[in-house]
Parts: sequence; C-alpha cells; structure tokens
Amino acid sequence: MNLQTIVNSLISDTVTTSLPLFKPELVLCVTIVVLLVTRLFPGLNKIPPFAIALLGGIVALWASLPAGGIADWAKIERQELFTGMLTYDAVTAFIRVFLMAFAVLFIVLARLTGLADREDGQDFYCLAFGSIIGMCIMASANHLLTLFLGVEMASVPSYVLSGVVKGRRRSSEAALKYAVYGAGTAGVMLYGVSLLAGILGSAHLPTMAQQLVEFDIAGKLAEGDQYMQVLVLALGGLMLGVGLAFKLSAVPFHFWCPDVFEGASAEVDGFLSVASKAAALALLVRVGIGFGHVPGETPESVAAAARPTATVQLAAAAADVPPAVRLIADEAPVTDGDAETADAAADTGPLSPVRSFFVQVVGIVSVITCTFGNLAAYGQKNIKRMLAYSTIAHAGYMMMPVAAAVALVGRDQAAAGDAVSSMLLYAAFYLFMNLGAFAIIAFLRNSMQSEQIDDYAGLIGRSPLVALCLTGILVSLVGIPPMAGFIGKFRIFQSLVEAGGPLMMFMLVAAGLNTAISLVYYLRVCKTVCIDSPPDTSRPVALGFFASAYVLALSLPVLAFGILPNSIAQWAQAATAGLFG
Amino acid sequence: MHHFMLANLLTEPVGVAHYMAVGAVLFVCGVLCMALKRNALGVLMGIELVLNGANLNFIAFGSRFLRGEGQGLGLDGPLMALFVIVLAAAEAAVALAIVLNFYNNYDSVDIDRADQLQG
Amino acid sequence: MDSSWLPTLLALAWLTPLASFVFILFFGKHAGPHGRFAGTVATGAIVFSCVLSFVAMFGAWLPNNELPEAHHGDHAAGGDHDEHAEDGEHADEADHETFIRPAASPFLLASSGGDRGTISLVADTAEGEGDSAEHHIAPNGKPPAVYGVFYNLVTFGKLKLDISYYIDALTVTMFCVVTLIASCVHFYAIGYMHDELHEPYTDHEVTLTDGTHLVRKGRFYRFFQYLSLFCFSMLGIVIAGNLAMAFVFWELVGICSYFLIGFYIERHSASTAANKAFIVNRVGDFGMLIGMMALWSSLGTFAFGDTQNDQGEVTEPGMFSVLRTEENHYALAPTESMEVEGARVVGEGEEGESSHAGQWLLLIAGVGVFCGCVGKSAQFPLHVWLPDAMEGPTPVSALVHSATMVAAGVYLTGRVYPIFTPEALLVIAVIGCITLFVAATIAITALDIKRVLAYSTVSQLGYMMLALGIGGWSAGIFHLITHACFKGLLFMCSGSVIHAVHTNDMSYMGGLRKKMPITAYTMLVGCLAIIGAGIPTSMYGLSGYYSKDAIIEQAWSFAGANRGNPLLSILLIAPVIGAAITAFYMFRLWYMTFAGEPRDHHRYDHAHESPRVMTMPLVVLAVCAIAIGWSVPGTNLSITSLLEQAQPVGTTPGAEGVLAENLVVPAEQLSHVKAVKIPAGWAAFSAAAFGVLLATIIYLWRMLNPAEIRDSFKPLYAFLWNKWYFDELYDLIFVKPTHWISGLIAKFDRGIIDGIIHGTAATAKAAASIVSNVGDRTLVDGTVNAFANRTWDFGLMLRRLQTGSLRTYVLAIAMGTWITYMLVSFIMVARGTG
Repeated sequence: MNLQTIVNSLISDTVTTSLPLFKPELVLCVTIVVLLVTRLFPGLNKIPPFAIALLGGIVALWASLPAGGIADWAKIERQELFTGMLTYDAVTAFIRVFLMAFAVLFIVLARLTGLADREDGQDFYCLAFGSIIGMCIMASANHLLTLFLGVEMASVPSYVLSGVVKGRRRSSEAALKYAVYGAGTAGVMLYGVSLLAGILGSAHLPTMAQQLVEFDIAGKLAEGDQYMQVLVLALGGLMLGVGLAFKLSAVPFHFWCPDVFEGASAEVDGFLSVASKAAALALLVRVGIGFGHVPGETPESVAAAARPTATVQLAAAAADVPPAVRLIADEAPVTDGDAETADAAADTGPLSPVRSFFVQVVGIVSVITCTFGNLAAYGQKNIKRMLAYSTIAHAGYMMMPVAAAVALVGRDQAAAGDAVSSMLLYAAFYLFMNLGAFAIIAFLRNSMQSEQIDDYAGLIGRSPLVALCLTGILVSLVGIPPMAGFIGKFRIFQSLVEAGGPLMMFMLVAAGLNTAISLVYYLRVCKTVCIDSPPDTSRPVALGFFASAYVLALSLPVLAFGILPNSIAQWAQAATAGLFG
Repeated sequence: MHHFMLANLLTEPVGVAHYMAVGAVLFVCGVLCMALKRNALGVLMGIELVLNGANLNFIAFGSRFLRGEGQGLGLDGPLMALFVIVLAAAEAAVALAIVLNFYNNYDSVDIDRADQLQG
Repeated sequence: MDSSWLPTLLALAWLTPLASFVFILFFGKHAGPHGRFAGTVATGAIVFSCVLSFVAMFGAWLPNNELPEAHHGDHAAGGDHDEHAEDGEHADEADHETFIRPAASPFLLASSGGDRGTISLVADTAEGEGDSAEHHIAPNGKPPAVYGVFYNLVTFGKLKLDISYYIDALTVTMFCVVTLIASCVHFYAIGYMHDELHEPYTDHEVTLTDGTHLVRKGRFYRFFQYLSLFCFSMLGIVIAGNLAMAFVFWELVGICSYFLIGFYIERHSASTAANKAFIVNRVGDFGMLIGMMALWSSLGTFAFGDTQNDQGEVTEPGMFSVLRTEENHYALAPTESMEVEGARVVGEGEEGESSHAGQWLLLIAGVGVFCGCVGKSAQFPLHVWLPDAMEGPTPVSALVHSATMVAAGVYLTGRVYPIFTPEALLVIAVIGCITLFVAATIAITALDIKRVLAYSTVSQLGYMMLALGIGGWSAGIFHLITHACFKGLLFMCSGSVIHAVHTNDMSYMGGLRKKMPITAYTMLVGCLAIIGAGIPTSMYGLSGYYSKDAIIEQAWSFAGANRGNPLLSILLIAPVIGAAITAFYMFRLWYMTFAGEPRDHHRYDHAHESPRVMTMPLVVLAVCAIAIGWSVPGTNLSITSLLEQAQPVGTTPGAEGVLAENLVVPAEQLSHVKAVKIPAGWAAFSAAAFGVLLATIIYLWRMLNPAEIRDSFKPLYAFLWNKWYFDELYDLIFVKPTHWISGLIAKFDRGIIDGIIHGTAATAKAAASIVSNVGDRTLVDGTVNAFANRTWDFGLMLRRLQTGSLRTYVLAIAMGTWITYMLVSFIMVARGTG
C-alpha cells in the first residue's frame, strides 16, 4: 500500500461517506462564511443578516433530517466518519435535529427581542452557529480530539455571546468569569485526555474500550502493586469528567452557571441552558458508552466468552468489600439460585469495573447536583439566577438516566437504549420549557426593564397570556401532570427502576424528594405572578403579535406533549434502538 | 515500588515518565497561576501553562523514540498537540477581547473587581 | 341496557364537567351579567353527569350483575352467614372450599407450629358461638368488573400509559355519590357565592394598608370553572383503570384544591394555606411515586384489570391478577420477579432469606402508595394542611375537603386493596387509629365552627383508614360513602350559619334554631348521623349507625383475633373512645350554635334563614344522611350489597402476617357473628350516648360551667388547644437539628474556602453573621411551614457558597478535582487491596 492508495481511499471515504452525513454542519459553515462576506462588501450588507441566518438555519434543519424521514431512525446504522473521528448513528441524528431546530428558534427569538440588531447581527448569528457546530461535534465525538475540540468550539463562542450586550458591567463580568472558568476546566480536561490517551495508547474511543478490556483492571487492582496505573487512569477519567461537568454545570463545577446566567441576556441563557446542556448530555452518553462498551459486544457474547480467570478475580475483588461501597455492577447475584438467569442478570463483562466507576461517579454527582440546585434556588430574587439554579438541578435529573443506561449496558442493551431515550425525551421537553421561560423573561425585560421576581407581581392582570404560559412552564418544570415535565420525569424514574440496585434506588428516592423540594421556589414565582397584587408603579405589558405567537408556540407544546407524548416519545425511542450496533 | 518513584526518575534514563513529570509541574504551576493571580492577563498566562502541560504529555506519548514503535499514540500525539496550540491561540484571542471589554467597563483588569454577581 | 354501555355512559358523565370547564374558561366571563350563567352551565353539567351515573347504575350495572346478599346493614341476622362464603358470582369457587395456604408463606407454616391454622383463626374470634366455628372462608374470586382502554397515551418500552377504565360496583357507586353531592353543592354554591356577582366585590376580610377593605372584581364564573375542573378530575380518579392514570388525576384534584383554597387569594391566610396544602400533598405523592415504581418494576403493569382478547382469554393480566393468581386461590403472593427485584433492592444477598425479599418489596410498594393517601386524606402526620384548607369558600370545604377529594385517599387505598400485605395493613390501621384519636381530641376545644368540622373530617377519615387496615374493606368504604353525605351536609349547614351571622366563631352564636329552623334541624340530622345514632343491635338507624358500627365490630373482631398481642387492642379502644368524643364535640357544636340564648344579640338580630337555593340541597342531603344506609324495600339493593359485590379479589378470608408472624387480619364476615356484633354494638352505642349526655349536661342544661372545667383541666386544655403541640414537636424534631447542622456546615464551608483566600478573620465574622441571622429568626407556626423555612434557610446558606469571586471559583475547580480524586482513589485502593 503506497501513499497514493492511502490518499485515494481517504479522499473517496471522505467525499462519498463522511461529507454527505456532515451536511448540516457544512450548511452552517457556509452560512457563517456568507454572513461574514456580506458584511465586507458595501452592496451586500443591505441584505438583512436575519434573513440569511434564518435561511441557513432552516436549510441545516432540513439537511439534518435523515433521508427516510424521522420514521427511519431505527434503521440508521452506526458509522464512523472521517477515519473514526466522528460517529454517526441515530442519536447523533436526533441531537442534530434537536440542535438545528433550536438554532432556528433561537435566531427568531434574538430577532424578536432585538438582541441581534442590524449592526451586530452578523456577529451574533456567526457566534451562535459556530457554537452549534461545536455542539454537533460534541454529540458525535468518537475520538478524544474531537471531544475536546467540540467542547471548545461550543464554549468559546458562548463566552462572547454571554458578553454580547455592550456597555453593561454585569455582562462583561459574566463573560470574563465564563471565559476564565471555561478555560480552566478545559485545561484540566485536556490534561485528563492526555493521561487517558497516553496510558491506553489510543485516542479513538472504541479502540480505547478494546484496550481497557486488555488492561484487566480487576486483575491489576487485585494484585496490589500495579494499582497505581489504575489510579492514574481514574485520575484521567475524573479530569475528563471535569470538562463534562463544566458543560453540564454539575456540582462542584457549577460555579460559573448562576453568575453567567444573571449577567448574560435571557436569550443567551436559553441558549446555554438548552442547547449546550443537551450537547453535553449527548457527550456524556458517548463517553459512558464509549468507555463502557465495546461495539458489537452483547451480554450473551460476554457471558459465553468470559475468561474464567477474570471472573474469579472479579469475585475475589468483590468479596471483601463492605456492602455500602460495593459497586452495583459487580454485585453478586442474589436470585434464588437459578444459575442461568443469574448470569444473564449480572454484569460480568471485562469492562464492568469501568462501568461501575462511571455509574457511581455520575450517579452520586447527579444526586448532589440535583439537590444543590434545588436548594440554592430558594430565596433568589433575580428570575434568571433562579432559573440558573433550576438548570443545575435539571442537569442532575438528566444525568440520572445516563448513569442508568451505562449500568444496564452489560445486562440488557435494549433497556439501556431505553434509558438513553428517556434522557433524549426529557431534553426535547426541556427545550420547550426552558427556551419558553427565557423567551418570556426576555420579552418582559424589554417591556418592563426588570428581571426581578418581585416586579412580576400581578402579571396576570397585565398580560394574562404571558402569565399563564409562564405558570404552565414552571408547573411543567416541577413535573406535575398533565404537563410534559411529568412525562419526562416519570420516564427517568422508569429507567432508574429498570436499572435497579441500591444506588439507583437512592437516586430514585433523591429525585422524587427533589421534585417536592423544587415545588417551593417554582410555586413562589407562580404565586407572585398570579396571586400577588401588582405594585403601584406597574405599567401594562404589551407584547407584539409575533412575540405572543412565539411564546404561545413554545408553551403550547409543553401542555400538548404532556397529554399526547406518543409521537415524540417514539422518535426518541427509535433514535436509541440501534445505539449498541 | 511506587514509594521510590522520585528516586527512579533521577536514576533511570530519560523516558516518558520524565516528560510527564515536567508536564505535571507545568500543569500545577498553571493552575496556581490561574487561581492566585489578580491580573486577568496573568490568569490567561496560567491557562497557557495548563494547556502546554497537557501538550507535553501528548508529545511524549506520541513519540516513538520514547515508547517504541507501534506503541503509544503514534501520530495522534503530535497532531493533537498541534490542534491544541491552534485552539489555545483562538481561545486567547477571545479571552483577550473579553478582558478588553471588562477593562472598558471597569477601567481595570483586576479580576477581584468582578464581584457584582454573587449569591 | 347491555353492560357494554357502561364505559360510554360513565365516560360521558366524566367528560361533561370538562366540557363545562372549557366553556367557562373561554366564555364564562361573558356568559350573562358578571358571568352569572357560568353557574348555570356548571350546575347543568354536573346534574347531567349525575343523571348519567344513575342511568349507568340502574340501567346498565344492576340488570347485568346480580347482587349478593348484604351483611352489614343486616343487623338482625346475627349468626346467619354460613352460605355467604360461596354465594354471588363465584360459585365456581366452591371446589376450593378447603382453604389452601398461600404458597408464599411456607415460613409461616413452619414457624407457627400448626397451632394457629386458618380454622383456629375462625375459632378464635367466634369462640363460644358453636355454630360458626367449623367454617372456613374460601377466598373470593375476581369481582365483576369491566376493564378496557380508552386511549393509549404512550408506550415506553415495557411501560404503558393508558387512559383506561375499570368499572365495578364500587366505581358506579362512587360515581353516583360524587355526582349527587357535587350537584347539591353546585346548587348551594349558586346561592352562597352570590356576593361575587356584585360588581365590584368588597372583601371585608382583607384590610389594605390605608385601612380600607379590598375592592375587586367578582369572580363568580371562576369559582364554577374550578369546581367543574375539580369534578372532572375527581371522576377521573374514580374511573381510572390503572394506577398511573389515577396518579395523574390525583395531581389534578390537588391543583384544583390549590386554586379553590386560594380562591380568596388576597387574604394572606388563604394563599398560605393553599401553598401548605399543595406542598404537604407533594410530600405524600413522592412516597406514592416510589410505591408505584416499586410495583411497576416487579409487576410490569399499572392496570387494575385484565386485558382480554376477543375470545375472552386474558392477554395481559392486571396487577391484582398477577399478585393474586387463580392457581394460588387468590391469596396474595409476591411474584417471582418480585423476589428477584426485591432481592436486588432490599436484600443485600442473604441467600437463605431471599424468600422474604418479595414480601418486603410488596410492603414498600404498599406503604409507598399509602403515603400518597396519607397526604391526600390528611392522615397523621400530614394532617396539618386540612384544617388550614378551610380558608376556602364553604361549598369547597363541603365538596372538596370533606366529601370527595380527601376521601380519594381512602378510595385509592380501597381500590388497590389486594396489593396490601398484612404488615402494610397494620401500618394503615395504626396511622388511621392515631389520626382518628388525635383529631377528635383537638376538635373538642376548637371554637371555629368550620375548624371543628375539619378536625371531625380528619378524625372520620382516620376511622375509614383504620377499618381498611384491620380488614374491614366494606366497612371502611361504606363509611366513606355515608360520611360523604353527612359531612357534606354538616359543612353546608355551617356555611348557611356563617352566611347568616358573618362569623365562624361559635362563641358569637347561640339560639339560632329559631331564626333558621331548616338549617338547624338538617344539621341535627347530620350530627345524629355522624355519631351513629340508631337502636343498638337492631336494624334501624341513621346511615352513620351502620357504617360506624361495622367499623367497631371489625375492630372488636380484630382485637379478638390478635389476643396474643395486647398492644393491638388499642386499635379497638381508640375508636370506641373516639366515638364518645365525636358525639361530644358534635353536640357541643350544635348546642353552642343553635340552642340556648343568643350570645351576640347584634348578630342574632341580623340572622336570617338562607334562600331556598341553599336550603333545598340541605334537605336533599339530610334525606341521604338518614337513608343511604338502608336497603331498598323489597329488594336486597343497598350500598352494602353493592360493596359486597365489589369486594376486592381474594380479600374475604382475611390474612396472616408473614414478616410480622403473629399478626392476624380477620375475615370481615367474622364481625357479623353475634358474639362480636352485640357487645360491639352496645359499646358503640353507650360511647355515643355518653358523649351526647356529657355535651347536654355542659352546654344545654349548663349543670357544669365549661369555663370551670377548662380551669380545672388547664394543662390538658392547653395541650388540646395547641393541637397536641404538633407545631412545636415538628419544630423540635426537624427544625432545630436542621438549624444546628446548617449552622455547623456554614461555619465549616466558610472556614475552608474563605480561610485560604481571605484569612480567618473574615471567616469568623461571616460565620457569626450567618449563625446570628439564622438564630434570630423567630420560630413561629412550626409544622410544615417551619420545616419549609428551615429548608429555605439551608438553601440561602448554600447561596453563600457562590461568593462571586472568580479566583475562588478557579480554586474550586482544582480543589474539586483533587478532593474527588482523593475520595475515589481511597475507595479504589481500599477495595483493591482489601
């Protein structure tokens, strides 16, 4: 094989396979270039940037739909693009549709609220699209380099977006904090990536999983003098997790979130809390499954090929552990002695230590994140800050099914796929809930120049539509039927129950308790909006026709999906059906 | 064995471990710099140090002289380092712009002045 | 009519209030002057529902389902119950007459040593009766029911969420009762809420800062809008064919209740009470979610009934069929999947005892679902919200907070009755027992007329739960139905009084029976019904007589069956004493309000009988309160026979504990033997008579001065007046420790983080300020409010972590990574090297 053939095959692979599947991102890239070019030439800058951006967004959305329509999601097979740098499967497709739809909604919102004005519109749209491309890469990352690049591409433009309002001290402070915090976590993550890649001798996720199988973690731990290598591996994994936790705003790497949300404009908050979070969750799934699952492996094949030595060592490692710290994944089966069902039910694959590590870290962090977010939201006076803590709490909720999915991979891949689909479903509902909430905040800011919760008093008298929509969205965020949030939470609980085990039960109880805790602060806003009497200085709130329509378009689905969730739930399920191809 | 790790470093011929040690020192210096400097530019320098600590690791892991043919990251190592360098430049550009914006509002680059948002 | 009409009829009855809600939502404001016709629309809708429900009952249910003979109302037929074991629909059970033990309790068989078989269970309770000692009771099969799916909402893998229906005799009966009472309340509300039609409406309870009263627009239409939504949600719970759907409507009635309690939102007390009710209910619902998930994970279904294909074969068995299989003779046995699931969740791998894991899981599931019922039915310790909920308009108190919604908890407990293990039943019984006693004692000292009734409601709900818990399924549900009638009546009477004298305080009333005779005498009927007035051991009495006696008989039978455990006899003593207390405070209320001389002549002079639109419902409900326990002459149609027909699968023979070995839940039929019935009947009668007598002596004949009694029992009086110091107790248990811990954590956190950066001086100052801030807060109105406050403070404390200093944040990245790593590596090394 000479250089010529390598180059040829590379080109043909790229042109025939990879690029067609990379269309939506390419469309966004073209849109960015067009936006920048029109600014350069005096004749062309008459074209309103909003039109170009909207056109680009819609074309990208169209391009991101799979060839056979959404119904064909289940048929999409996992493919590696660009020589293994990216992966393309139905989850990628789902998240991409999600992100493109969000991009369209977002630029419309920015236009309606006047955040992207005619002078700076190009910049604003370019930054948003750049960030979206980064998120797409995050969602399809299959290599540590693309993982890191994706996170950075998504983050760097959002630093600027959070400071996009010129001349406001708070805005510039938010941008500075976000940039420094983000850069710090990116550095830590990069260092973790270097450790992982170095020890496992590859940066390609499936290859790394293969290497982990051969690494024989359980054996190294049991031998005693080689556990340093495992510890370095764990350190690398944790440092990688820091980057993810930053994007997810998981405790204790959430510090940027409230400050940035308060300082940035509400539209950007919607961007950060919906798109950025969804992409980070998809990346978490990629990492969890990338390290915890070798493609093509099934529980049956593992049970058949399980090396006796490894199993014995595993059992030896698990034997002396006190129950409290025992990992669920290698917990000894406690069924009534039926050997065959026991084998099928227990996770005995060689990657089970990796999985249990991931599950425990993500599980515990999710519970802490959820509880912290909900408690700290108490007593907030600024609505954006309150919703920032609410976002933190929701990140915790949405991390739970990911932990459940990874815990299930070794036992029941269909159930694991279901768990991921519950996360996708919640993310889809979350788009409407949070973007709707932030859109309302942005419109209200424009008309009453305030973002304090107290100033929303008696809103129901001034603008019944907005007040009702806001109340509905908040009720949905708590997770009370018949709103969509209830279906989403219910589905998450289901995935936790399916995964089973003490840790999952703990998470279930914590999540349930958290819905009760969160009621207090959401209800407080509802009460202020609907019950309290308006201050004497209040002015009528006037939303234009388009603004009202926009708010309604985001709020109605929150109710509609609560009553008729079937179609969107089926899409989410189809999207994860082939996750473990 | 791990009790004598430092001693091993001093006695053995130069290998990956030595590069990793230097990288770790760079990383820690960078983190300290970020956490302790009050000047925003100092913080940005800290970021560069952190990224370069990781870069050193990549180069060392990718080098076939240090780890032997067929082992390690191979070409992926230096490639990743190159990407990181480009990215660091982009990030620095954005960060500098943000610092400039901050300076416009506060007439200072002291990050302790950024204390309006809290609670 | 064919029974295939049932779903259609009831669905129509269920959806009509929704249609009314939607109509009023969009057009209510403009329907007539000030939305006057909204009331007409809502009332018309609910009356239509009521008619449909009765058509369903008499046209479609009764012709197709033959009624068994009733036991409960049948007081004369003491020992004559031999043939009931096999009668009704389930003659096919006859060949299983020899009672076979549940396969799941081999453990019990081994440990009980054979001396306490099922036969001795019967002999224990009916000792000396001779004629019934040899009987064993075969478990009943599935009650006749229609189950089906209206619409499949969504399917998530194995999880199906359906809008489905499960219609049995209980469903149809509840439809009739709910719609009937709701119709009365709607009519009544048209009169009661008349003030809201004035434009503008002046709320005399709200005083603005400048000393004037609040003036606002009337909200007549909105009241009926909520009321319609409530009826829709309540009927949704009743018709629900699976637990998940029941939960959705469960939450919806909670939301309606929130709106209705907070109807006078400008009053601070109303909005606080609404919040409190909602939050307390959520605490219960959280337990319910856990219970539901435990059930679903092990059974894979939420459905109550079995899905059948065209040939009548069962394709997907419902929860009850899975747990109580025909092969197992309808005895409760955890399924195999439950054993596995339970072992995963509960057992930490004790192989030998894994047979109990399923029982534990069932217990968790049962208690979890019951938690939701505790919240909604205001059982101890979550009873605190219901008395506050009386801030709502009185029709709401009558309908939502006494007759229907709070009874939904009891209804659901009765609906999922087959899943409760004897241990779970014991939990239910104990909670019910505590509730009934505590609430009854608090009602003695209350002076607010609605509060007396509110505590009375809590107490009666406790009776129902107690009855369910000790195996008296029909007794409990029967009491739910009779209570709905007479408590609705009592509340509406109190509303009529309040309407007349414009105060809730009974110390301003007195002698009102001359001014408002209809109200006074209908209320007297209600009082007599609630205390269970009737001729002891005969079959003549008011409705409460049958249901309350049935409960006390069952308690008697339960205490007899558990003679080995004297502690459990409290479950008998408490309801009997409770009956005396009930009689006392109800007649205290009636005497203080209607008898004697007026205490406040100004108010007395202005008092007048309420308009006919308000008194007519009172009369209708009074008739119900008298007669709803009777059977239709010439037939055996009565509520009790309907309930007999709906008896949940496999629950007739009672049960024995597996985890708690000595626990016996006796069969309900055993409470009808003479040896139980006669003493229990006399006990109940004498308790009630004593209570009435005492009230008469003190409040009517004035032979004793209440003030003197109060003084001589000052500590006790203070104890009851302060509602058993629940507020203070919760304060001590939840609030103080949280307070202490949060102070400590605050100190610790500030110490670590700021210590590094700013030095210890600032730390000490900040910590001191937090402690003093938190410490200075006055601890008022404890209970749940205070708990919420403490959580609130804890949240505020967490906020302080967000220092706003960028360098702290960056340091937190490093420290966070480092600390996590240390923890993880410590655990890994500990595991790896053993």
